Amino acid sequence: MSKIWVHAEVVDDKIVNVAFELLSKAHDLAEAMGGGTEVEATLVGSGLEKEAARLAEWGAKTIYLADDPDLRMYSPLTFVPILAELAAKHQPDIYLFGATATGSALGPAVAARLKTGTAAHCVDLRINEEKKLVSLVPSFGGKVIGEILCPGKNPQMASVKPGIFTKKDPIPVPVQIEKLDSSMWKKLDTQGLKPVNVVRRPPQGLPLNEADVVVCGGFGIGTKENWQLVEKLAQYLGGATACTRPAVDEGWSGEYCMVGTSGQSIRPKVYIGFGISGATHHICGMNESGVVINVNRDAEAPIFEVSDVRIVSDVNSILPLLVEAVKPKASW
Amino acid sequence: MHFFEFTEEQKMLRKAIREFVEAEVAPKAAEWDEQDACPVDLMKKMGELGINGIFVPEQYGGAGQGFVARAICLEEISRHSAGLGIAMMTHHMGPYPILLFGTDEQKKKYLPDLCSGKKLGGLAVTEPGGGSDFSGQKTSGEKKDGGWVLNGRKCFITNSHIADVTVLTAKTGVDDKGRNKLSAFIIEKGTKGFEPGRKEHKLGLRGSVTGDVVLTDVKLPEDALLGKEGGGAKIGMEAIGEVGRAGMSAICVGILRGCVEEAVKFANERIVYGKPIAKLQAIQLEVAKIRADYEAARLLTYYAAGLKDAGIPCANEVATAKYFSTETAVASSKRLMDLMGGYGVINEYPVGRFLRDALASIPSGGTSHIMQIIMAANTLSGFQA
Amino acid sequence: MAYNVVVCVKPVPDPKHYDKVTIDPVKKTITRAGIPTLVNPVDKSAIELALQLREYYGGGVAVVSMAPPNADEILREVLAMGADEAYLLSDRAFGGADTLATSYTLYHGIKKIEAAKGYAFDFVLCGSESADGATAQVSSQLGEWLGYPHLWNVYELEKTPGKDEAFSMKTKMENGYMEWAGRTPLVLGVAREIRKPRFISVMGIMKAKSKPLTVWGRGDLPAAEDTYLGLKGSPTQPGEIFSPDLKRSGELFTGTPEEIVGRVVTVLRANGVVVGG
Repeated sequence: MSKIWVHAEVVDDKIVNVAFELLSKAHDLAEAMGGGTEVEATLVGSGLEKEAARLAEWGAKTIYLADDPDLRMYSPLTFVPILAELAAKHQPDIYLFGATATGSALGPAVAARLKTGTAAHCVDLRINEEKKLVSLVPSFGGKVIGEILCPGKNPQMASVKPGIFTKKDPIPVPVQIEKLDSSMWKKLDTQGLKPVNVVRRPPQGLPLNEADVVVCGGFGIGTKENWQLVEKLAQYLGGATACTRPAVDEGWSGEYCMVGTSGQSIRPKVYIGFGISGATHHICGMNESGVVINVNRDAEAPIFEVSDVRIVSDVNSILPLLVEAVKPKASW
Repeated sequence: MHFFEFTEEQKMLRKAIREFVEAEVAPKAAEWDEQDACPVDLMKKMGELGINGIFVPEQYGGAGQGFVARAICLEEISRHSAGLGIAMMTHHMGPYPILLFGTDEQKKKYLPDLCSGKKLGGLAVTEPGGGSDFSGQKTSGEKKDGGWVLNGRKCFITNSHIADVTVLTAKTGVDDKGRNKLSAFIIEKGTKGFEPGRKEHKLGLRGSVTGDVVLTDVKLPEDALLGKEGGGAKIGMEAIGEVGRAGMSAICVGILRGCVEEAVKFANERIVYGKPIAKLQAIQLEVAKIRADYEAARLLTYYAAGLKDAGIPCANEVATAKYFSTETAVASSKRLMDLMGGYGVINEYPVGRFLRDALASIPSGGTSHIMQIIMAANTLSGFQA
Repeated sequence: MAYNVVVCVKPVPDPKHYDKVTIDPVKKTITRAGIPTLVNPVDKSAIELALQLREYYGGGVAVVSMAPPNADEILREVLAMGADEAYLLSDRAFGGADTLATSYTLYHGIKKIEAAKGYAFDFVLCGSESADGATAQVSSQLGEWLGYPHLWNVYELEKTPGKDEAFSMKTKMENGYMEWAGRTPLVLGVAREIRKPRFISVMGIMKAKSKPLTVWGRGDLPAAEDTYLGLKGSPTQPGEIFSPDLKRSGELFTGTPEEIVGRVVTVLRANGVVVGG
């Protein structure tokens, strides 16, 4: 029987959202493959039995769990051999990873051990007539989308950035956890590299990829003061801030909220952009948004080609007014 | 014949300088122009890249290249900032005469720091009486107590306030026909009585400092004399004639390239009646003229620089290149301005700066009239095809 | 103690011009005519790190690239930046490689350099990703072929005092970072923050003329197996390519700023955003 695997990444002892997005997509793929293809998940960390059950809620039939205090933090010297050995044993047809900071390092390393192919940062996945995985991969900053196939090897692997797929409703199955024996990792030599600590900076408001409203600032906002207005607007609307590469380079914002092929992919219900020119690599990270509103004084800015609302105006004449207009009213 | 092409190293040099200029110069050029601020720290940093000592032999800490390489550097810099271009080109007029006329001690003392960027150079010749009346200068140098005492005022001196090492000419006597005898001196910043004076507020080439230097009983040791006593006219003329003018020529080639590139960008992006103005023949004709100006100025400039590198006298060719490059830079930046319509006079576009820089390049190193006189003299005294 | 470092570099089309990339509608190939080639930008940060390690501790900096023969020009630039020697792995047999085959070829190139030198490299550095393909997979896969610990998106590297081979590192994470303690040999995919690359100097260009640039073909890597090389050794295969159609037909909001803001607020409310609440 065919199997699609999803590796569920853990951050701060919780499974991250992208795992559920991938599980939802995996079910679509399983249906397209037919023949009772099953969706399963891999999970590595410490004290995760309860968390593992959540994967069953999203339809992971079997959950392969490597649970050990030694595995609390990611290391290529433990995670790679565990997952590669597991995949070699169970022979999944497809194996999906989140293209997170960890997943982007882990996925290709597992593929190298298995001598199989993997497609990076996919923007879509589908099954073709030969029941093979077709991964759609952007290149040249998103200007070109190419199909990647892995016809002769299994598992066919792919990584997908958070926010590309939608986390759909749960489709619960009975919880079935296969706990892996610690001999699998106790034998490993981990002297060459040890994870010491994971440091999280307090997130600024909502995580970008979970916000319903995203306010994005580009080079055209012009000043740090305007960036602060962007932040205020996001705060008033109960959303998150995003930015483009030039806003990071100018020191107004940080890479943590950069959107685009080299940053995050977002799909909020509402996207409001200020001073965004609309380079392809940014558009690729935001075009799945619901309603797209943009303010730019250049009527020819490419961003307007992907906007539902076009406002040709100086940022300074719209942004302060809008902030004032959406300011929460005092409750007394 | 050999057709004109850069060597592999020169191509690599151009790419390297371009990368530097695009990263460090282009983003700030408008600001330097607007605030008339000279990026002294950046000029010093350019020493690490080899630009400051580009034509100085390696034994004195230079890059061991020639004047073609220098022109490449100045074109690339001036593509984005002609103000920085003239500051750097004037710096070169410090080490150049020291290299050519200095004693071994003087070369060892001054050249390594002038090449590395630790110190910046300058040349002070022009006086309130006029730059072209070269031998009429009034700054005096008297021999006293085994040294020299200098008095006078120089004006329109680029790098006046930032040069650490200035080569300066002064009248040190008269010959038997009653003509002034000039001598050249090396003066270090901070020498007592040697002070920068007023700073000019220029139309163009802003971001370079131009002003007076004032000499009040400046006492110099005997070994501050550069070259022979009475050899100052030759030293000054050579520095200005083959290095200063060649530099201005290369700077204007940079401005012209800016005109070409900005014209291409604007003509393709500006949509009128539903299509880019690049599709209009009236616009195409202007773009062609700008391109022709650039190509011709470039050939003249690099040809003169090539002669200089080959050790062939080239005062006439440099004058021709300087005349042509500066005048066409004015004409083509005006053309670009016309092509851009209303946008041409908006300061967010660099074309206004191009025009002002080109205009300010005409008097620098000798006006177009002086260049024409040199070219005419050379032509009338024995033109050979 | 001195460290020997090898840096993997890739020539890429200048990312500033990616808007000019088009797809030939007939041949279904990518057209990148007129776009200049340069050293992949973040690879320069890796080279800078290597040069600073050499300047501080001594050792050597070698550069290796798997690319077409004309990549020698790009490698000259890297030598002009300050690397000691460059190796170009170039052969039709290497062509069409995906990241697995690329990292395999680089692995054999590195092993061959090590054999010629008589020592093993302490650091194998890569840029975190290439500007064109941006798979970010090569450093991890190269680490696996070499059998060395590997990290991706490293933005800090510091020597642990008192121990020659011990280093601490930081890798970028979502909303934070991860700290690591490792010992050489290490394979690091570095982020651009790790070092700002220096500019090429005229003196560097002149020195680069006499630095060794070695070109190796298939025959020079006898230990490599055909099953893992080039197009045939690549488990992934490209399919169709196309330009994404992202167009939306936008409505232009005109009027006074107050009127425009009023209409925006209406759009926000219509899409379920709580405004002024």
